[in-house]
Amino acid sequence: MKDFFIFLPLTVVYLAFKAAVFPSLPLPDITLLIVLFVAQKGASVGGALLSFVLGYVDDVFSGAIIGSTSFALALTFGVAYLLSRKVHFSTVAAMAIGSAGLDLFKWVLILAALGLSGVKFPFMPQILLTVTVTGFFAPVILPFFRRLSATKVPGAQRGGER
Amino acid sequence: MLSFVKRHQVILASIILSLFSLHLSSLVRKGTGGEVIVRAVLSAVTSPFERTLVRMETKVKGVWGGYIYLVGQRAENENLKKTIYTLTDENNKLKEELSLDSRMKELLKFKEESAVPTLAARIIGMSNFGAGGGWARTLTLDRGSLEGAEVDMPVVSPRGVVGRIIEVTQRTSTVLLLVDPRSNIDVTVQRTRIRSVAEGNGTSLTLKYVRPFDDVQEGDVVTTAGLSGIFPKGLYVGEVTTVERGEDNLFRYIEVKPASDIRKLEEVLIVKEKQNLLSGIERAGKSIP
Repeated sequence: MKDFFIFLPLTVVYLAFKAAVFPSLPLPDITLLIVLFVAQKGASVGGALLSFVLGYVDDVFSGAIIGSTSFALALTFGVAYLLSRKVHFSTVAAMAIGSAGLDLFKWVLILAALGLSGVKFPFMPQILLTVTVTGFFAPVILPFFRRLSATKVPGAQRGGER
Repeated sequence: MLSFVKRHQVILASIILSLFSLHLSSLVRKGTGGEVIVRAVLSAVTSPFERTLVRMETKVKGVWGGYIYLVGQRAENENLKKTIYTLTDENNKLKEELSLDSRMKELLKFKEESAVPTLAARIIGMSNFGAGGGWARTLTLDRGSLEGAEVDMPVVSPRGVVGRIIEVTQRTSTVLLLVDPRSNIDVTVQRTRIRSVAEGNGTSLTLKYVRPFDDVQEGDVVTTAGLSGIFPKGLYVGEVTTVERGEDNLFRYIEVKPASDIRKLEEVLIVKEKQNLLSGIERAGKSIP
C-alpha cells in the first residue's frame, strides 16, 4: 500500500514531465526500475498489482494500446521476483546489468503483445538506447528508491514486505 | 492445492494480471471504450501540469539563453552587463513573439485557405520521439470535447496531414500520428494517381500493395485519397524517398517521408468537418518545396 502512495504519483509526474518537456530524450525507464525495486525489496501480490497499474498508466500517457505495457510489466515483475531470489541486485554491476536486461525483456514482451494485437513494429535502435540508459542510471535510481521507500507516508501502512 | 497457490501467489498474480492486460488490449482494439474514464481522470489531473510545464519550458529557455549570453560579459562593468541582460532578455522575448507571430500567421493563412471549420490547438505533450524510445507515436493537444474536438477528426498543419484524433477528454485530445504503426490511410500518388495504403512504421510511412509495374518514383508527392471516411481527399501526406523491390517480389517497398516534422510543430489545426476540406489545403501542400 505504501509503495502505491509513493511510486504511483512519482510515475504520473515523471510521465507527464517526459511527455511535456523531454519527449525526444532517452530517459531511464522509471517504471521498469520501480518494478525491479518492488520485486527485489520483498515481492507480494501488491507488487504485481502495482506493476500492472504502472504499465496501465504508462499506456494511457503514451497513447499506446492499453494493456501492452501493463502485460509486459506484470510479467517482468514475476521474472524480477524469481531473479531476485537467486541474484542480489546490490552491486553497481548487478543493478546496471539486471535493469538493462529486464528492460530489454520488457520491450520484447511489448513487441510480442503488439504482434498479438496485429500491430507490426520493428525492433528499433532507440529501444537499445533506452535499455542502455536505464542500465546506466539504475545504480543511482535504485538506491534513491530505497531511501524514498524508507520514508514515512502519513496514513499509509507499510506494505509489500515478505 | 491451496498451499501451492500460497507458495506461488506472486508468480500467479503476475501471470493473471498479464493475461488480464492482454484481454484489455484486445477489448481496446475492439473499441469497447472502457479505458476512457481512466484517461479522462488522468488527463484532468495531469493536463494543467503539462500546460504549466510547457509554459515554464518556454520561459526557462528564454532566461537560460540570456544567462549564457551574459556569462562572457561578467568581466565588463555592471551597468553594461545589466544593459546587455535587459536587451538580451527583450531580444529573446521578441524573437519568441516573432516566431509565434510567424507560426500563427502561417496557421491563420492556412485556416483561411481551407475555409472549413477548424480549431487551432497547441501541442502540450508528445510520446516517445526520436531517442525517447517507445513504440506509440501520439500527441496531446490542449483542446477537448468542450471546444468541439471529436474522435476521428483529422489534424493538419500548414505542411500537411499530422494524424487523427483517437481519444478525447473534456480538455485534451490524443492524436494518432501518421507514423504510428497503428495508422493506415488511403493515399494517392499525385503524379500517376496510383492508389495505395500508407502504413506508419514508427519513423516514416510505407506504401503497401504497390505492384512492381506501377509507376512510382522517388520524389513523388503522396496525398490522401479520401476513401477512409476520415481524411478528406487531396491533403498532402509526404514525399516518396525510397523505391525498392519488395522482399516477396509481389509488391514494391516504398517509403514516404511525412510532410510534417512533428518535432518542430507547436500548433496544429483540428479539422472539425470530416471529408470536406476545400482545395486550399491541397494548394498549400503542393506549394511546399
